[in-house]
Amino acid sequence: MLNEERIILMTHMASYEEHEGKKNVIVGNYFRSDYIGFQVLKSIISASIAFVIVFGMFIFYDFEAFMQDIYKMDLLAFAKNVLIAYFLMVGGYAVVTYIVYWIRYNKVKKSLKCYYSNLKKLSGIYEK
Amino acid sequence: MTKLLVAREYIKNFYSKYEIYLWPVCKFLFAFIALIIINGEIGYMHRIENMAIVLVVALMCSFLPMGCAVVFSGLFVLLHLYALSMECALVAFMLMLVMVLLYFRFAPKDFIILLLTPIAFVLKIPYIMPLAMGLVGTPASLFSVGCGTILYFFLNFINENNTTINAMEDEIAAKFRYLIDGLIDNKAMLVTVAAFAVTLIVVYVIRRMSVDHSWTIAMVAGSLVNVMMLLIGDLMYDTKVSIVGILIGSIVSFFLAKALQFFVFSVDYSRTERVQFEDDEYYYYVKAIPKLSVATPAKTVKKINTQKSQNVVTKTAPKTVNTVNNTGRARTETVHTTGTASTASRMGGGTYSTAASHTTGASHTTGAPRTTGTSYSAGARPHTAASRTVGTAQESARPVSTVRTANSVAGRTAQRGDERGSLNRDK
Repeated sequence: MLNEERIILMTHMASYEEHEGKKNVIVGNYFRSDYIGFQVLKSIISASIAFVIVFGMFIFYDFEAFMQDIYKMDLLAFAKNVLIAYFLMVGGYAVVTYIVYWIRYNKVKKSLKCYYSNLKKLSGIYEK
Repeated sequence: MTKLLVAREYIKNFYSKYEIYLWPVCKFLFAFIALIIINGEIGYMHRIENMAIVLVVALMCSFLPMGCAVVFSGLFVLLHLYALSMECALVAFMLMLVMVLLYFRFAPKDFIILLLTPIAFVLKIPYIMPLAMGLVGTPASLFSVGCGTILYFFLNFINENNTTINAMEDEIAAKFRYLIDGLIDNKAMLVTVAAFAVTLIVVYVIRRMSVDHSWTIAMVAGSLVNVMMLLIGDLMYDTKVSIVGILIGSIVSFFLAKALQFFVFSVDYSRTERVQFEDDEYYYYVKAIPKLSVATPAKTVKKINTQKSQNVVTKTAPKTVNTVNNTGRARTETVHTTGTASTASRMGGGTYSTAASHTTGASHTTGAPRTTGTSYSAGARPHTAASRTVGTAQESARPVSTVRTANSVAGRTAQRGDERGSLNRDK
């Protein structure tokens, strides 16, 4: 005989598995530190590429003047400034990434907890 | 209002019923419109303006993920800019890449906003974007709307200054500088980005408030803030915006946002309930606002296929004859039943013919015991019930439910007859 409660529960769970559940299960397989660390690493790479693009555009913007001044300027001071800008940008971006993914990981864990409790409930219904 | 709600329910039902077909059609239309707009606004490469190419790409987008429409649109933009000048394409590519790397990595779902915002600008209703995203999005959506706005203004700058860019033939560095200046020193762009960001936040904050009609208040406040900021920006930086354009665009955007609200957040504030309770840890002050919803009138479309129902009767007829051959009385009854059934099937259709076959089944039961007279009495009832049933069906030919009940009564009675028949046999 059809058990209405069981069918509703199974439908909800199937819908979850079909949509956000897919990604959440993958996220849930990581430890918090591993997941956030991996995302921060990806962000550092992204931010580095973005920095290179922006820096390239900055140099190319006034390329002639830059080439004229390159022999006069203090290259070490220039490199130091560039590195400070790089670390500020990448560091800031990494911090934002850390916060965003920390929140996301907690949300995913909460939703997975709910999913697993539903799974337990379903198994309880079968055992009745 | 009720009619609108019914229409909304119809649309919802229709969409949920045919979602599997409608979603690809929507994606196709979206990609097609986006590509047509891109070709119309920045059509420098004539080869990709060919309708066949647009159709093929839009068709591809219909079965690929939604983000692909944005990617293909970006490719179209870059190809057009490349036809104008390689530097333009390079700067646009770098701009898009930085946006994707820094923001859309976090929110890939918002990728579509990057394309929707420039489209809204072309359609002269850009003010819908901060309103809509404030209503259905999060504060982070301001980055998506901001990126879309920057992209639009950059493309618009190239479009307006294409003759100047073309005039700088071999001066790569000068061209590059000109483009970067156009991107950074665009006061109208900065004012618009700031206005959209503030509008979105205002709409979001008010929409989340626990006040009646918060959505409408948010829309009105957002529209006013947007208009005010754009006008102040115009006064401060001489952005040369059209005041009439802003006002008309804001009014149209407001109504579009209202339409969005109708589909997304439709509640009845007159039936608001406030309840208060407590548990061990908290006091709860709950405000519950019922959703506005109506049930769509159910229409049962009944297909009448006379030929088919006649076939059913024809099929049952020989059975009846075979059965009734055993007893004379049964013969009379069954013939009568079949006759009624065929009349019914000529009148009504499927359900009647089913009822008829049930009736015949009942007669069949009547004939089953064959030998004893008691079995007749047992079987006589089902037949009577069946005849009565068909009679009811004849009297009220239209209501389906009546016929169904009759049918089930006939079936049940036949079953009962069967049981009684077996009881008699046991005796």
